[in-house]
Formats: sequence, structure tokens, C-alpha cells
Amino acid sequence: MSLLVGIDVGGTFTDFVAYDHDSGRMEAWKVLSVPTDPVVGILNGLNAHPAGKTAIEHIRLGTTVATNAILERKGATVAYVTTKGFKDVIFVQRGNRRFHYDMSWVKPKPLAKRRHCFELDERIDAHGAVLKDLDEAEVARLAEAIAADPSIEAVAICLLFSYINPDHEIRVKQLLGEKLPGMPISISYEVLPKWKEYERASTTLADAYLKPVVSRQMRAMRARLNEDGVKAPTVVIKSNGGQMTLDGAADSPVHLVVSGPTGGVLASCQVAKATGIDHMVTIDIGGTSTDVSTIIDGSERLTTGFEIEWGVPVQIPIIDIRTIGAGGGSIAWIDKGGMLRVGPQSAGANPGPASYGRGELPTVTDANLMLGRIDPNNFLGGKMTLDRARAERAIASVAEPLGYTVMECALSIVRIANSNMVAALRSVLIEAGLDPRDFTLSAFGGAGPVHVGELMIEMGIPRGIVPNNPGQFSASGFIMSQARVDRQRTTQLTSYRFDRDKAADVLRSLVDEAIQQLRDQGFDDDVKLTKQLEMRYLGQNYELELQVSDEMFERSEHEDALWAAFHDAHKSRFGFSTPGEIIEIVNFKVTAIADSPIPELPRIEKASAPPQARRHRLVTFTEGEIDVPVYDRDDLRAGHAVKGPLLVEESASVTVICPGQNLSVDDYGHLLIENAAQQENN
Amino acid sequence: MRLSANGFYVEQYRKCCNCGILVYGEGVRNPEHPKKLYCSDWCVEWRTSKDRGVADPVLPIKQPKLPFEAAYPAKGERIAPYDLVTMNILDSTMVSVCREMGILLMKTSYSTIFNEGLDFTCALADAKGDMIACAEFCPTMIGGMPLLIKTCAQEIDFKSLEEGDIILHNDPYRGGLHCPEHTFFRPFFVDGELLGFAVCIGHIAEIGGMVPGAFCGEATEIFHEGLRVPPVKIMKAGKDVEEVWKLLLANTRTPRQNYGDLRAMIASVELGCERIAATVRKYGKAVFKQTCEDLMDYAERRMRAEIAEFADGLYSFGDTVENDGIVNKPYRIEVDLHIHGDEVVADFSRSSDQAKGPISATLGVTTGAVYNGMFHVTDASIPKNSGCFRPLRVVARPGSMANVDYPGPLVAGNTELHPRLANIVIGAMSKCVPERSMASEACTSMNFVFGGNHPEYDEYFACYDLMAGGWGGRLGHDGNDCVIAINGNCRFNPTEVFETRFPLMVENCELVTDSGGPGEFRGGLGYSRTLLVREVPITGSQCTDRHEIKPYALFDGLPGGNGSTLVKTANSSDWKTVSEVYGKVSTSKYANVVFEPGDRIKLTTPGGGGYGDPKKRARESVLEDVREAYVSSQSAETDYGLKG
Repeated sequence: MSLLVGIDVGGTFTDFVAYDHDSGRMEAWKVLSVPTDPVVGILNGLNAHPAGKTAIEHIRLGTTVATNAILERKGATVAYVTTKGFKDVIFVQRGNRRFHYDMSWVKPKPLAKRRHCFELDERIDAHGAVLKDLDEAEVARLAEAIAADPSIEAVAICLLFSYINPDHEIRVKQLLGEKLPGMPISISYEVLPKWKEYERASTTLADAYLKPVVSRQMRAMRARLNEDGVKAPTVVIKSNGGQMTLDGAADSPVHLVVSGPTGGVLASCQVAKATGIDHMVTIDIGGTSTDVSTIIDGSERLTTGFEIEWGVPVQIPIIDIRTIGAGGGSIAWIDKGGMLRVGPQSAGANPGPASYGRGELPTVTDANLMLGRIDPNNFLGGKMTLDRARAERAIASVAEPLGYTVMECALSIVRIANSNMVAALRSVLIEAGLDPRDFTLSAFGGAGPVHVGELMIEMGIPRGIVPNNPGQFSASGFIMSQARVDRQRTTQLTSYRFDRDKAADVLRSLVDEAIQQLRDQGFDDDVKLTKQLEMRYLGQNYELELQVSDEMFERSEHEDALWAAFHDAHKSRFGFSTPGEIIEIVNFKVTAIADSPIPELPRIEKASAPPQARRHRLVTFTEGEIDVPVYDRDDLRAGHAVKGPLLVEESASVTVICPGQNLSVDDYGHLLIENAAQQENN
Repeated sequence: MRLSANGFYVEQYRKCCNCGILVYGEGVRNPEHPKKLYCSDWCVEWRTSKDRGVADPVLPIKQPKLPFEAAYPAKGERIAPYDLVTMNILDSTMVSVCREMGILLMKTSYSTIFNEGLDFTCALADAKGDMIACAEFCPTMIGGMPLLIKTCAQEIDFKSLEEGDIILHNDPYRGGLHCPEHTFFRPFFVDGELLGFAVCIGHIAEIGGMVPGAFCGEATEIFHEGLRVPPVKIMKAGKDVEEVWKLLLANTRTPRQNYGDLRAMIASVELGCERIAATVRKYGKAVFKQTCEDLMDYAERRMRAEIAEFADGLYSFGDTVENDGIVNKPYRIEVDLHIHGDEVVADFSRSSDQAKGPISATLGVTTGAVYNGMFHVTDASIPKNSGCFRPLRVVARPGSMANVDYPGPLVAGNTELHPRLANIVIGAMSKCVPERSMASEACTSMNFVFGGNHPEYDEYFACYDLMAGGWGGRLGHDGNDCVIAINGNCRFNPTEVFETRFPLMVENCELVTDSGGPGEFRGGLGYSRTLLVREVPITGSQCTDRHEIKPYALFDGLPGGNGSTLVKTANSSDWKTVSEVYGKVSTSKYANVVFEPGDRIKLTTPGGGGYGDPKKRARESVLEDVREAYVSSQSAETDYGLKG
């Protein structure tokens, strides 16, 4: 037995999925998390596997170390160093506000105190020319000032225009490094060589802020695993879904700001690949929140729009996951205008939905229970019994003032919750210029499968899929991950007097940097490269991303093809193009992936007879109350096909398939759902 | 409103002498003063009561109706009960459509004021011109929207509209805000029936006029402020009306940029129509129309429920604008909020007569400012559609600061007077709900505009540079530092973007210590930037305020710090005002100053006013402010009474 183990450390549970290279089998389990010391939960779970620790060949871990340090603002005391005159950029920020009309809003503070901000009298201009030389004596005085303040634990440096000319930043790092041995130092050119000084400074600050705590924890974890006899190489999952060694994480911890939630998207990518689906939209519905993401042409989408909190950006590439406050625990209530609303307040885990037996307020889970979609006696695989009478009372408390019956009200609650989730789906699909009719909805998390059918209908998404182990789906994504480095740099060039050599140089140096970063961490597999340019019409402020070939910029005809491709892309995304207009290239991007083998998804037995329903249950849909068959997921075999409405139950969830939808089971045991009668989408 | 017989031009803008709305048709006369024109009996009664000395008339609101609206049948009895689920779905879908329109505009437009500043709004309206949904972009425009569309509806026969028509309009006296704000609206049809409009309003930075960037601090007539466009079709049945395009683009210094921005706005309303028409087809016309009515009724109920919680009474507040750029004298703005039951009348009649310079507000601006102020003291989650405006009535005397008459200049009314008007509405509410109020914010976007010939691209450039000061203190929190004034939600231009685009250098970006008005809850700080003119001269103009009069405090706080604009010319070593260097009347409002290479311009924004007695501020907060240099140790001692 030779195990590859994916681990997702969550707030309540630590999830494990192990893939056995020898048998090709996959298994999933979970243990309680130990929030005060996550390593204990990890070790407990590893020890729970019967094959023993020696069978473990490789560990891949989704970690919350960086996320928590940032959320709780428990990182290092950072000294911030910038160009003379600009230390307040991180306090001034961008000047916009989070909400219209909310006078109670408090503008966020940056990750450094104003009294720990320092300036250097140097200046580089917008073309990279040095207007004022760096004064090394001034840097020496700066080192003394930092050394004189014992509270300072790390240094972040962000000088103006360093993304064009990094000489001053690199020299300051070197000089401070000599004078302040052991002091963690982050420079903006290495963290995020892109324009816009506030965003770059904020990202660099986050890196420095995390360095002491992450490197401490990574070292400690390795030592504890060793002590416990777990010798297997261990990697952590970065925000871009790629692997990174523990040392790599200690060096550039900002890449860990989002780790765990990437797993569901990575796993969906593999499901998409195995099943031949091009475009997928993933929805992970939990108790208090819902995560939505898209997969286009088999690949996850990255964004640089992450924020620690609103207005405090960390612009490293992360998998684009949109989170909204809607889930099974979302509370239904009536506002002052007589409207039934659902969420964003949630009953959470405590008191939880009314039917859990502690709370009084009606939630989405209570509504699903009343509608017969959730079985009160078979919740969490029968580990918990739900209190139907209590759910009914809770829902009646909002039904009566509205003049609804309990069932009408329950259905309205579920449909309004769906409407909130559809808003999130619209934001990642339609508002991003994507057509829902081209997509398959991949639903997981405890409540994802409950809502999948109705969401498909409301959103006009023709196909849906419920993967295996929807409750531990993230951990299974980690075992599908590969090491990955994304590098990007701002270098502005225009189609008007285009400098081809410069373009070729920038692209080449990004490729070298990316490959070097993989090699430095010991990933020596073949490297897969993709290169992209972010382009726009001169004067615009947002870019379209175009993939470019290896030989781009070698000959001028490639260039012409590039400009033509941009006009086409603009037309297809925005409905118009402006031929003849000057085009500007803003950012160069390179992705390098160490092409290590990815485990194949295991297959299930083929069907030899039609599936047998375990029982029947009355379930309420928009169409009315219907007696529907209930299947056990374990009973389903590859090739089974059944017409909805129906339910499929498994230990962590239940899949609800509506009237007018069909279920089929593929070779891997995925539940595939189709809208039989195609509705026109909005 | 009197148009020429063939409708080609306006002969006279006729307004109600009480509320200031345009009167189309005969209007209503008051038998006692037969020369005075009113829009409605409500206005006759309101003005008569006030003239008789009734300080706080109790008069249930009747909204003014334009003749075309009166032609619509009154709302009948509902047949079916409200469908809460459909309301919810349709509202969220329509808001998403508006957001999608905005994202497209942001991503494809050329001016920084659009794509960094986000100075635009996207909305959907029904066939009567009522706003049924909008996305949160620029709040000023949201309030102005219904008036804009209705004015157009009155002048363009909607029955003549075809699929693919796009109407463009920017006339500030006809519902508009100021000339740079261009409104595009495109009708959408389902089965040949006109069901409404996709609308987009955006700030076009350069529209000709006396100065590059439209903000002429010394304008005395609308003709100095750029091209005024009455409602015209820029597209007909999906085809460009070339003559209109050519006229527009011939009257700007930056035709290439404007072309890009106008195209982006057209793409945005086209997208909106396509999406909303598909939505209507999905739910059916009858359901769509009924649900829109239900949504507006719902927003109205929410707003009435909020107002009903306020104690009845008359709440008044005022503030002073230091000068108008032409005459060095102050102007007063005054609001009387009459709250009765679940309705509010905001009467600005006591404000000064309109200014000679460009700082007066149009009716659209004042109306929007009242909505904006009231939204700040009520539940922010009320859907923003025409329904929530119904319990609010604005009375803005024509020819006053709150309702400028043709041909008075007004470009800064939208950016500078809107926040002041919205702030005094909140100020008046501080006497009713002190816990929901805030001391004065800086209330200026600085509006420094400049242009010149770009040495690299051999093309004229124009820039609208925005800055912002501090928020006022509020119960429980200090004012935020450097947040955009209440009328917009624009972002500042990063120095690295600014220097890449324009041949100037930014030398610093620094908070101003002690600019936050002292208070138990301190005002937020303003900040300062110094611009160095490099290779080529630039022509600069500005419309700001608060160089002389400080942002006011509430409840025994102290006012915020003043802003300033100072110049150090290449051959001088002193910082001086533009009045000192160039002989301008006002230091805060001026036009066409040529700054030569080597000159420096230092722009400083005001801080916000303090809330509550500074002596009551927690000692630890004062100490931390001193450690962080938000407050000097001297101010800590004198203003906050910190000892030792």
C-alpha cells in the first residue's frame, strides 16, 4: 500500500482523502479539528488509517495558518519602507467606500502602524529612469532605526515604479539584510511586480506580516510529523491551487491566504476532465456560506482581486472563488415592507436550524425538512434526528403574518434562498460575460446536492453533476494538485511603435523565474508552461487576457495576428471592437506547472439491473406535492438512468432531482442531472 | 416649458415658483397671485401656507406629475396577491443586469473618471419613466434618474420610438445634473410593446467649453461649461446618426477618448435591453409589469416605515459656501425638513439666490441630494427604485442655490453643492436622530482639471483629478480619513497610473496632521499631494471650497481643517495662493491658469468636523492619535485637554 493523502483542516472537522497508488482505490474520512493546535487533528486523522503511517508516501495539506493570522490580525509587527513623500499611501488608500449610504462604516487600517513607516529619499520615474539615486548612508540609518525598535519583526519594502526598475528595492533588501541578520524582508518586486502602488504595497505588507508566523508554524509542523514517525514529504496548497513545499511557504507565505477552499475547484477540474465536460460552475453550499467558482475549458480561473477585508487587497493569483452568506443555516424573516427575506443572518452551528432542537428561528434547512427533501431520521447518515414539529413551529411564525400555509412558506423560503444563490451564479457567469447554457453545475458541500436541481432550472444551466464524497470534496482535490508557479509583471508596450525585443525579453525572464522557483523547491518533473498577455485599447483601464504561443514575438506576422486576436476577443466579450485603435499590452503572465502524474478517478461497477428505490416519500416542489422514490447512492451503478422527480441519499447529503429532470450515473459514480425540457435561460 | 413651434429649441424654461419643477403645458395658477405659475395645487397650498407664516404646514404629499404621466391610467386594484418569490427573483435579476451594464462600461471606457473613478450609474426604467432597478455605482445620479427620463418622455413621443433607438441627453435644466453628465437611454420592446428603458448616465470628462475638463471655476453662463445636448437620437433603429456624432466630437478637445466612452455607454444600454427583454420573455409581460409595480410599492412601504419612526417636527440646518469664483461673497444653503407621519418635505426656499459663478445646483442635483441624505439615515437595504422616493417631496425655489435658472452656470453644483446639500439634510436629521448623524465631511472632490499636449503621443490630454478629505465624526466612530464625498464613490488615481498617463510628477501623498476636527469622535483627516509640472505646460482649473470656511462640527465638537491650493512657481521659493500669483478672485475656484514646467501645485483636502466635546474623548484614543501623528501633542493639550 502506498498512500497519497489529502488533508483539509476546517473549523469543525479535518477531512482526509487517501488514494492508494497500488489498488487505485480512494477513501475518505474525517476527525474533529483541534482549533488551538491543528497539527493534533492532522496526526489523529493519520493515525486513524489502518495501513499505518509508513504506508503514507506523500501528504498534501490545505492550511488555514495564513488565513487565520490575517483574519484575526495576529501577524507580525511590520516596518514599512517606501519612497520619500509616500508613506501615507497605505492609509489614504483608494478613497472609495464600501457601501453607499452607510454612515457607520469604518475604513480599514493597513497591516502596519503609521509610526512604523519609513521613507527613503530616492525616485524612479514612469519609464524606469532614476531621478534620484539611492543614498546608502540613509539606508544604513534606516537599519539602525529599525534595529532600535525591538517590536519590529519583519520589513516590507515598496518603492515607486519598482515594477519597471527594481534596482533600488533589491539594493535596499541587500543592505538591510546585512545589517539586520535574520530579519524577514519582503520586497514588492518579488511579491507582486505590478503597477498601482497601493495594491502592490498592501500585498507586500501581507507577505511580511505573515512571514514570522508561517515560517514558525511550517517548521514546527515538520518537526511534529517527524517526531510522530510521519516521514512522508509534505506540501501545502497555495491560493492558486498549486503545491508549495513547507520551505517555499515560509519564504512567500502570502501565497497561502486562501488554501483549503481551492480543493473543491481542483477536484471539480479533475471530474470535468474525466467526464469530458469543458465548462463547469461549482457551488459549495455549507451551513453559513456558499462558494461559487467557474472552470473554463477544463481549467480553474484565477483572479488577483482577493482582499483581506474590503479595501485591503492582496493581489497574488488565487483561484477565483466568490463567497456569499447563504447556506442551510440562513434565517428567514419578514422586513418592515412585508417582504420575506432569507439571510444573510445565519443560525450557524449554534443554535443551528430550529430542527436541530436548540434554536427557534426558521432556516433553509428547516424549510427543506418540511418540504420532505431532507429525511429527519436520516440526517448525516442517521447520526442525528431532526425535530420536524419544531421546524414547523418556526416556519409558522413567519407564515402566519404573511397569510401563507406552512408548506407555501417553506417553499418560498427555499426559492428565495435559491434566488440568493442564483445571484451569486449570475455574478460569476452572466456578469463575467459567460453563457450559463454552456455550463454544467457541480454541486457539493452538505447542502449543494439539495439545491442543485432547482438552481439548474432557475439559472438556465442545462446539466448538473454531484461528485462522489460531496462532503469531503476539498480534500480529494488536494491529491489531484500539482506544483504551480504563476509569475506576472507590468511592462507597458503599445502596438504603436511596438518593441518586439523588449516583449520577448520580459516573457523569457518570467519563464526563467517561474521554472527556477519550481526547481528551487525540488520539483523536477517536466514543466508545462502557459503564457498570457493582458491587453486593452490604449486609454482603457481593464485588460482582456490572451494566451500566446511560444514563438510569439519572434516574427512580425505573429504580432499582427496578436492585434487581430485582441480585436476579436474584445468584440466577443463586450459586443464591439475598434479596429485601427492603438492596443496596449499591460501585463505579462507566465504559469509553470510541474507535470507530476495525477491519480485517475476510480470507476464503479456497471449496472446489471435497474436501480431499486429503498422507499418513497412525499416531497413538495413548485409543481405541488409528489410521492417520489428515494435511492441510496451506494445502490447506484454505472449506467443507471432514472426520470425525476426523485431523491438520492448518502451519508453527508441528499440530492434532490426535480420534475422534468433526469438522473444518470456515469462510470465513476457521479450523479449526472439533465433538464429534460430545456427552458429558455435569462 | 416653452419650445419653439417646430420643437427645435427652447424659448423659455418655465418652472413652478414653489418646488421648481419644469412646467409643461398650462400649469396651475394661484388666484391670489395670478402671475405666479405652479405645477400643482399642492404647491399653491404649500407656498400659500408658508407665506401666511405657517412654519410647519401639514400637507400630505402629492408628487408633481408631468402631462404625459397624467395620461397613464391610475393604478387599479391588484387582482392577484403579491408574489414574494417572483418579486425577489425579478429584483435581484434586474439589479444584476444593471451591474452587468456597469461592469461593461467600467471595463471598456477610456476616461479615468469612468474606469478608475466609476463616475457613472446604470439603471432600468419602466415605460412611464419610473426607475425600477439600479446598481450601486454613483449615488448622485441615482436620485436624478427619474426626473431625467420623465423630462425626455415629455419631449420625445415614446410612441415614435423603435427598437435600436438610443436617446442622448445632458441638458442640466431639463432634469440633468451638469453638462459632463451624459444620459443614454434605449427603449426595450417585447412583442412590439414598449416596456421600458435601459439607462446609463456617465461623466464625460472633456466636452469643450472654456477650460479643458469642463470645471471652469470662472464660468458665468452655461455656454462656458461645454456642449449642451437636448434629448436627441444618437442611434436610430440600430444605426449611428452620423450627424449627431460629428457634432458631438467636433466640440471636444479629446475626440478619440470621447468616442471610446460614448461607444462604451452605448454598448452598456444595448446589453441592458437585451438582458431585460429576455427576462420579460421568461416571466411574461403581465407578470413583469405587475411585479415592477409591486417592487416600487414595496420600496415605498419600507421607506414610509423608516420615516414613521422619526418624531414629527420641523428640523432645519444650513451651511455656507465661501464664494462662487466670480464674486467674493458667501452664499447660504438652508434646508427645512418637515416630517409628518411617514412623509418628509425638504424645503430649500430660505437658501440664497443663485450664484454668479458655477456653484448652484440644478433641481436634479438637489432632488438627488435629498434622497442621498435620507438614504443615509434610513435602512440602506431598501431597494433603490422610484417607489422609495414617493414619501419624499423636494421644494427648491427657482433662481436659488438649490435650483439654478437658465443660463446660470452650474458645473460645480453637482460635485460640490450636492454633498453640501446632502450633508445639511443629515445635519437637520441630527436634531431628530443624533445617533444616525455625522458632522460635516470635507464635502469636496477638489475637481482639479488640467490639459495639455502630450509629449509622447502627440495628442491633447485632459485629466479630471479627484481627491477627498475626511468624514465627520459620528456616534461611536471617528470620521474616516480621505474618503470620497457623499455624492460619488470614485477612486483616486494611483501615482503610478497618473505619471504613466500624464507628463507630471507627484511628489508626495501625505495625511494632514490635526486636520480632523477635534471631538469625542474626531473628524477624519484630509491629505495633500504636490504635483510637479515636467516637460510641457499645462492649463489648470479648479472648483473646490472650504479654503476659508471649515467643515462644521456637531454637539460641541470642533470644526475640521480647511483645504488649500498653493502654487510654487519654478522661480519662486514660496507657496502662494492662485489669487496671490495669478490675481484670481477666489483661491478655490479659478480657470485657465497656465502652469509652466518646474511649477508645483500643492492640493490639500479638508478634514471632517468633530462630533461631541473633545474633552470627553477617551484618553487612550488621544494618546494613540499622538503616537500615530494624527493629532499633534499641541492640539492634544489645547483641544483635548490632555495633560502630562
